[in-house]
Amino acid sequence: MASSSETMKKKLTGQAAGYLILALLVVASWAVFKILTPGNFGSPKNLVSYFEASLLAAVGAVGFYFVMVMGMFDFSIGANIMLSAIVGCVFATRFSLGYFGLIAGAVLTGALVGLLNGVFYVKLRIPSMIVTTGLALIYESAANYIAGGVEQTLPSNLRAFGQMPGNLILAVLAFAAAYLLLNYTRIGTYTYAIGSNEFVAKNMGINVNKYKVLAFVISGAFLGVMAVLTISYGSSMVAVTGMASMSRNFVPTMGCFFGMAFRKYGIPLPAIIIGEFVINIIFFGFIALGAPTAIQDVITGLALLLVVTLTTRITKGEIVK
Amino acid sequence: MSEIRLQVKNVSKSFGITKALKNVSFNINKGEVHALIGENGSGKSTLTNSLTGIYQKDSGTFILDGEEVHAHNQVEANNMGISIIVQELGTLDGLTVAENIFLGHEERFVRFGIKNTNAMNREANELLKKYGFDRIKANAMIETYNFEDRKLVEIVKATYFGPKIVVIDETTTALSQEGREELYKQMNRIRSEGNTVIFISHDLPEILRMSDTITVLRDGDYIATVKSADMDEDSLKKLMVGREVTGDYYRADYGEPVSGEVVMSVKNVTVPGLIKNVNFDLHRGEILGFGGLSESGMHEIGKACFGASFDREGTVTLADGTAVNDIPTAIRHSIAYTSKDRDNESIILNQSIGDNICLPSLGELENGMHMLSDKKLREFADKNAKIMSTKMNSVDQFVSDLSGGNKQKVVLARWIGKDSDILILDSPTRGIDIGVKQDIYQLMDSMRRQGKSIIMISEELMELIGMCDRIIIMKDGEISNELPRDPDMDENSLISSMV
Amino acid sequence: MAENVNKKDLAKNVPEGNDKAASKEESLKKQQRANLIRTLLPIIGLVAVALIFNILTKGGMWNSRNLILNQVYVVLISATGVFFIMTMGGLDFSQGSIMGIASIVVCILSKTNIFLAVIGGIAAGAAIGAFNGFFYVNRKIKSFIVTICTMFLFRGLIKYIASNSPVAASMEVFNYDLPALKFGITAAVLLIGFIAFRYTKFGMYLKAIGAGEKAAKFAGIRTDRMKFLIYVLAGAITGLAAFINIVKNGSATANVGNQLETQILIALVLGGMPISGGAKVRFENIIVGALLYTVLNNGLTMMGMTTQAMQLIQGVIFLIFVAVFADRQSLQVIK
Repeated sequence: MASSSETMKKKLTGQAAGYLILALLVVASWAVFKILTPGNFGSPKNLVSYFEASLLAAVGAVGFYFVMVMGMFDFSIGANIMLSAIVGCVFATRFSLGYFGLIAGAVLTGALVGLLNGVFYVKLRIPSMIVTTGLALIYESAANYIAGGVEQTLPSNLRAFGQMPGNLILAVLAFAAAYLLLNYTRIGTYTYAIGSNEFVAKNMGINVNKYKVLAFVISGAFLGVMAVLTISYGSSMVAVTGMASMSRNFVPTMGCFFGMAFRKYGIPLPAIIIGEFVINIIFFGFIALGAPTAIQDVITGLALLLVVTLTTRITKGEIVK
Repeated sequence: MSEIRLQVKNVSKSFGITKALKNVSFNINKGEVHALIGENGSGKSTLTNSLTGIYQKDSGTFILDGEEVHAHNQVEANNMGISIIVQELGTLDGLTVAENIFLGHEERFVRFGIKNTNAMNREANELLKKYGFDRIKANAMIETYNFEDRKLVEIVKATYFGPKIVVIDETTTALSQEGREELYKQMNRIRSEGNTVIFISHDLPEILRMSDTITVLRDGDYIATVKSADMDEDSLKKLMVGREVTGDYYRADYGEPVSGEVVMSVKNVTVPGLIKNVNFDLHRGEILGFGGLSESGMHEIGKACFGASFDREGTVTLADGTAVNDIPTAIRHSIAYTSKDRDNESIILNQSIGDNICLPSLGELENGMHMLSDKKLREFADKNAKIMSTKMNSVDQFVSDLSGGNKQKVVLARWIGKDSDILILDSPTRGIDIGVKQDIYQLMDSMRRQGKSIIMISEELMELIGMCDRIIIMKDGEISNELPRDPDMDENSLISSMV
Repeated sequence: MAENVNKKDLAKNVPEGNDKAASKEESLKKQQRANLIRTLLPIIGLVAVALIFNILTKGGMWNSRNLILNQVYVVLISATGVFFIMTMGGLDFSQGSIMGIASIVVCILSKTNIFLAVIGGIAAGAAIGAFNGFFYVNRKIKSFIVTICTMFLFRGLIKYIASNSPVAASMEVFNYDLPALKFGITAAVLLIGFIAFRYTKFGMYLKAIGAGEKAAKFAGIRTDRMKFLIYVLAGAITGLAAFINIVKNGSATANVGNQLETQILIALVLGGMPISGGAKVRFENIIVGALLYTVLNNGLTMMGMTTQAMQLIQGVIFLIFVAVFADRQSLQVIK
């Protein structure tokens, strides 16, 4: 006769195990580089700055999680961030709307991009990665038109979100919103339901298309917040073409894979946040070792490949395309 | 006050060219357990799926308590007082027990968009207690429970709001005795409350025991509605099949000795979690049958003999000593396989009939330079499709356009073209109408007389009894019994070894 | 005993294809019309676009046809390998990086021996293809994820190697910059590819895997082995294209092969290829598509369009063509 508290206990051990593994990852990655290059890496002050840097991708990743849980993918994340950052900057400076313009411009653009992704995906009925690849090309062009070939710089009096406590406050608000959406609204339930089995979900009366579009909008909005943090942190944003914005896709995606891997421990969102922290520790570790910038890309590509390999369960006989 | 709960009036439904329901009309009363029986392909599930919003019927009406109803999905059906417990898994992974119970009906717990998870869990736990399922917890993830417990959750989900009609579709086949008793308890309760159960099952004794009224469908047509008290198994079977089950339908011969020559030898075959220590020999010109419950492991035996099992231990050896461990070897050594999962394993839906028929035989069809000629491929496909009298426009047609029976004919045409000596047929007549079934039985008989060997795996006991030289019964992954061909054999001789 | 809960079993409740009572006639006619569009539209598009641009540039395009043809070779050759991959239902986003690494190898080895350089390029491409194939087949990771990782990491390597200055080949390579040679190699690759695809088991197996991988396996096709080998083959073919690239340019910069994968993808889509492969692909997709893409690009450049304008048009056309040519019947669940 199991009591309700016993299930609670079972749940806690699951969560505790998950946190333990994540903690081990943090310590291990820190330790490796601390040993290799003790001088310029890993001091408490360093760690705080690594954590600050990781908040950016974590904010984007908690939103993107909704899309990935449903089994869809989004190639246009990087283009979205770029475009939203530029629009936010333009609203803040050219239209003199200050902080309000920055946030409203970026988040609204992000959500709009998400809306377009979702609508085109649902209406054209082609795989999400393909539709977002095509749209990414279009978003990059749009960003170029708006920026007019000029690097968009955020003036120093608007950079509160590029440092403590501004960036932390914004990030925590974003995490809280994501947590609320995932666990306390129907959106969260239906997201998992659709990701589990779309046919059955549809039969049960869930408007699958509506919630797919919604997932993209949510993802886009969070990417808009990430754009605010990005441009505040780096103080400027350049519009690129030729799918070069794709380089920004990787780090948020990695966080998402962490999240999905730790879902069985019941802590997807914390796993994303801590996962991004671990990834940043590794990146800064390589920088401290003196690795040239080009090698960063090699590490990024390898890291995502590794994360995906380690978090993908191989089911015998499963068809993977 | 009318006693009638549901009027089914002239309901029809087609899938492409397949007519699953043809103008079906009958009535269902309040306060009764009304069984719906018929062979595979008779239209029972199509009818109830149309009622509960899983399918949309093409024409006709459902009248519930005097009002016409039309549900577009299950949630709408629920709101009208109709619910269904399906045969397969009806709960979703990744959600809690409570979320599954209330899926689609969360509005009660949602205010300003925020879901009150605690209230939801509390109510779910109360419901589970009321049903006597205390050991299932509302806030636990559903995948921590096994298939049976998940079915119990489905029972709660389908009945907690006091629906007027509950459809129970073939649910009992996958449940243990305990699970079935639970279900029977609920069925009796619903009946005593004045509501209705529509009960679909293949288990005739169970039908006779639990239901008040029985409606029989055959090939999409309405046949009759009878009182259970007036019927017995034989009379039901006659209604279902429409004729005496004599030797004309299946094989007519009895007492013919089977050759002693062993063509395939299966020793100590184990597939973890599915089958254990299976040993048997297949002889030349023999039809060897495998029967059992759906999850008895018999379907895996077919895969194991074809080299398609994962982690198979033990040996599957042919007469010349070849070990069959993978599919290309099996095919190369003249073994053929038709799967229970026809659309995913036996046939490529999105390719032409011709490509499907030629695929395993390409090695033989290429010329000296390893080139294939369109003309030769087409001739080969045409010839073999015609042997099976497949109904099609041309071999260029995509298989997805064909009816279930014709798809199976294409599958068989492929192996006829390959002239395979050993055929492993898993559920070969499932979902196929009577006419095509007979064709397939006749084909099997002629192959047997040519000296080919057949392993026939089937959940339909009658066809095993009618067609096989020996029947091996599987239970819980192991061989439970072996019965030789006998004109006096009936389903009961098999069932006792199956459960 | 264990229960085999198959997602497709749940889909048994939902019939394959249409839920509406479309009569057999109607659906057949729709299919025939779709097939017609798929075959004719790219060709009409090619002719139309070529004509339009020639008129708009007052014959300028016709004059520079050699230049244009020169650009098409690399895309044509690489696209052949990707065509095979996509027919099976996979994707390869790493083609550009394969081109880059192979080009660097060709440059370095050209200083020793030209023939060795060609072999080296092919081998380098095949090696990266094998890398892709391993993670795709053995670790069962979706092909697009594997190849975007590979793309990125090898691009980083390329940038590192060519960071200070481009990797130069020996001057000897320019001796091989002969139109006849380039045309010959391209034609040979296309011809062999065509014959293999259209008239041997090879093509049948690829289409079967793309149309129904599980059933293809049950028909005796060694699907895992084939998937792995195709990725190696596609890498090798692009390695060959790298040679043609180098004889033209003489050196490999940090941007060598940049965006090749997107170019190939757009070219194949323009050529009418359904994005998920399967039975409706045609080898001609490659040729028509590559030509159409190159003509379109050059035409737009000649008209003085900016990079962002061209990219915008590329994106829009890509989406339109993918939507028109998608083979939706074979995609049970579109993710």
